[in-house]
Amino acid sequence: MDVAIEFEQNWQKDFLKRVDEDGPWASWELYKLAYEVEKHLVIPEFEGLQAPKHLQQLTPLPHQLEVAKQVVEKMNGKAILADEVGLGKTIEAGLILKEYMIRGLVKKVLILVPASLVSQWAAELNQKFYIPAVEQKKSYVWEQCDVVVSSIDTAKRSPHREIIYEQNYDLVIIDEAHKLKNSKTKNYEFVQNLKKKFCLLLTATPIQNKIEEIFNLVSLLKPGHLGNQAYFDEAFTAKNRSLQDDAHLKELVNKVMIRNRRGDTGIEWTKRHVETVPIDFSDGERQLYDAISQYRQSQSPFMTNMFSIMTLQREACSSREAVYMTLRNMLGKKDEEGNSIAPQELIQDLMQKVEQVQRNSKAEKALELIQKINDKVIIFTEYRATQLYLQWYLQQHGIKSVPFRGGFKRGKKDWMKQLFQNNVQVLIATEAGGEGINLQFCNHIINYDLPWNPMRLEQRIGRIHRLGQEKDVHIFNFATKDTVEEHILKLLYEKINLFERVVGQLDDILTRLEIGNIEDHIQDILFNSKSDGEIRIKMENLSSIISYADQMTEGGEQHAATGNS
Amino acid sequence: MQQQEIHNFLENYFTTNECEILENNRAYMQVQLTVDMDKQLMNRPFYWHYLEKTGGVPNPMKLTLITDQQQAPDDLKGELIHFGSPRLHQIFASTKKLAGFIRLYEEMQSRPPGNIPLHPWIGLNVNISYQCDRKRDVMMSLGLHLISGTIVENFQERLEQLTLTPKIPDLSFTMSPLIRPQSGLNRLQQYIRGYVNSDDHSWAEAARKRWEADLALLDHFYEDLEEKPESYFTEKEALREQYEPKVKVDIINGGLFYLTQQSTFA
Repeated sequence: MDVAIEFEQNWQKDFLKRVDEDGPWASWELYKLAYEVEKHLVIPEFEGLQAPKHLQQLTPLPHQLEVAKQVVEKMNGKAILADEVGLGKTIEAGLILKEYMIRGLVKKVLILVPASLVSQWAAELNQKFYIPAVEQKKSYVWEQCDVVVSSIDTAKRSPHREIIYEQNYDLVIIDEAHKLKNSKTKNYEFVQNLKKKFCLLLTATPIQNKIEEIFNLVSLLKPGHLGNQAYFDEAFTAKNRSLQDDAHLKELVNKVMIRNRRGDTGIEWTKRHVETVPIDFSDGERQLYDAISQYRQSQSPFMTNMFSIMTLQREACSSREAVYMTLRNMLGKKDEEGNSIAPQELIQDLMQKVEQVQRNSKAEKALELIQKINDKVIIFTEYRATQLYLQWYLQQHGIKSVPFRGGFKRGKKDWMKQLFQNNVQVLIATEAGGEGINLQFCNHIINYDLPWNPMRLEQRIGRIHRLGQEKDVHIFNFATKDTVEEHILKLLYEKINLFERVVGQLDDILTRLEIGNIEDHIQDILFNSKSDGEIRIKMENLSSIISYADQMTEGGEQHAATGNS
Repeated sequence: MQQQEIHNFLENYFTTNECEILENNRAYMQVQLTVDMDKQLMNRPFYWHYLEKTGGVPNPMKLTLITDQQQAPDDLKGELIHFGSPRLHQIFASTKKLAGFIRLYEEMQSRPPGNIPLHPWIGLNVNISYQCDRKRDVMMSLGLHLISGTIVENFQERLEQLTLTPKIPDLSFTMSPLIRPQSGLNRLQQYIRGYVNSDDHSWAEAARKRWEADLALLDHFYEDLEEKPESYFTEKEALREQYEPKVKVDIINGGLFYLTQQSTFA
């Protein structure tokens, strides 16, 4: 059998020198200890995991250990870890990384994560896994530190990009890898050109819309596993995809991807209590909303613009401040021919209505609720203007809050999270802030207004209803009566049991349906229907399609809230 | 390694390195480091540099190491030591660094009359790693009699039965080796090579199969491209690093041993 044997050379030289020079020699006690140490560090088998005995402070869950074992033993260290949100993909990645480091197969590691998660990753690897991971802050870190955590946006830019390509990484870990689904992007190209001896891609949503996305992801990890582009297009794209091919594709994908679902893990989840809080508009608010709705029937080309009208309607359900900001932006905007995109008098009229709004019914309700809860609360809103207003409003009533936005720098996010955890009662997050931060020390969410993409709602809930949440989770959905908001909540979200659903499940269903962009779809229904009756029927259609697909999904999984009650 | 084993190990390590153990019970120990040990373990080169420049009084640190958190007092400030803790691994590394080379003489318990000849041996403790995308180690302790050329296994275990001292005992003398240390080491290397070659290498075979399979996929992925892009070659190299089977032999420690005829295990 011809396997190359490498002998360590340095010891011999050193030894012969000491023979010549008569020392220095070690003590017998220490010599014996060194031998004993080695006995403990020796890796007795190719199979099995060494990491757990190095991590006695950590108790991984059975499914996490199983994932680590499978990646090392069956998948040769290249895998997509695609557990549903909240099952601990970070722990799985940490276990695998630790295992390879203990076995001496991995030394140099690059970990690419969203900017908001950089410090969280570094802290977790240090504290839970005793892996000296370093946040990338200075450019020399790439070369001098073995385990570096960075955002992909930093890494792909010069001069970092060039330095990274010069390093010889043994393991590359990429969190939120679904962002690499498009092979035309700079990020994709950057990762494709990285040398990946071992590689872990982490994502809760391996396919969001199109089947090509999984091709792109797998091709990063293991080029050719799903064939090349031409072959894949022919074999699997939507047009000529038969069920048989689908099963084949599934089997292929499963060789490089592990996906655990909550139902599979046997973990007892805390209950989820969902409450719809109906809101009555004040007179001023109602007038504003109606005025906006009225313009829908008008013949003005601007006001038949679906997007503007729907936006204003939704904003009117949130705060007058949100409406005002949008109107002000419209005032300034000109189209290509230099005309205002909106009739001035129309905007002036609406602005007047805005001024006449004296109260914010939702804010009053929120205040009442927060006082009653008397514990940490996260408020989600879609609008920055509402966020600012709420902060001010709560302050007026002696309640301290911190804002949270996707645009915050890494340090600021950490700081806000800490302030929330230790000092203040309320965190007010806008949509972008919903992703990638773990807040399981809190168990109350107020959905101040509702996004029109059910996936985003899932993500909101996933922030707190995850592993580590010890209490039951309470979700309050604000819906203003007789508005688009009520329609979407009552006619769609409640019909499809959105809030009771296991996080991550909906994703599969929507993918199966190939609805594409569900947000556009909903908007289309709400805008183009001539009457409430029509809206009702179309929404019912949509929800029954989703429910039907749900039943087709492996006989329908348990719902989170009903599962443990 | 059990917590009690770790505790014993630490006790042994610090005592051997001449650090005074100020407090020691089953749950924790407090150790006064020597200057040398402080430099080894505490990672404060600037302090020592500064001190040497200014000629101040050295003040090496005290370490408190907790091996049983339940039994230790709640208000005790110290480092929790367990098998995965970085401090323990640092001490492991330091042990290996301090104990690479040795020379010892056997001391007879009941002395026969007359001068006692001691036979020269080379002892070598090695770790053989079989590695591809997976890894397995085999430890080996070998001794080579530098007169007859006899090689014995489990040498370390045999040595640990004997009484050994760093100074040649009175009325003992060492016999001249016929084999020089350099060629002794070569013979041992040859022995290890023989051991490895005769071992079962289905693991390497399997690794090569995995490698070939992935390589075939990679070629397929890029087959339509006349000129292969950089990423093709990067991936190809990555596959080599991932799968290529190899055997690495690391030396844990070793040295010269002078043993009596009775202990000449041959």
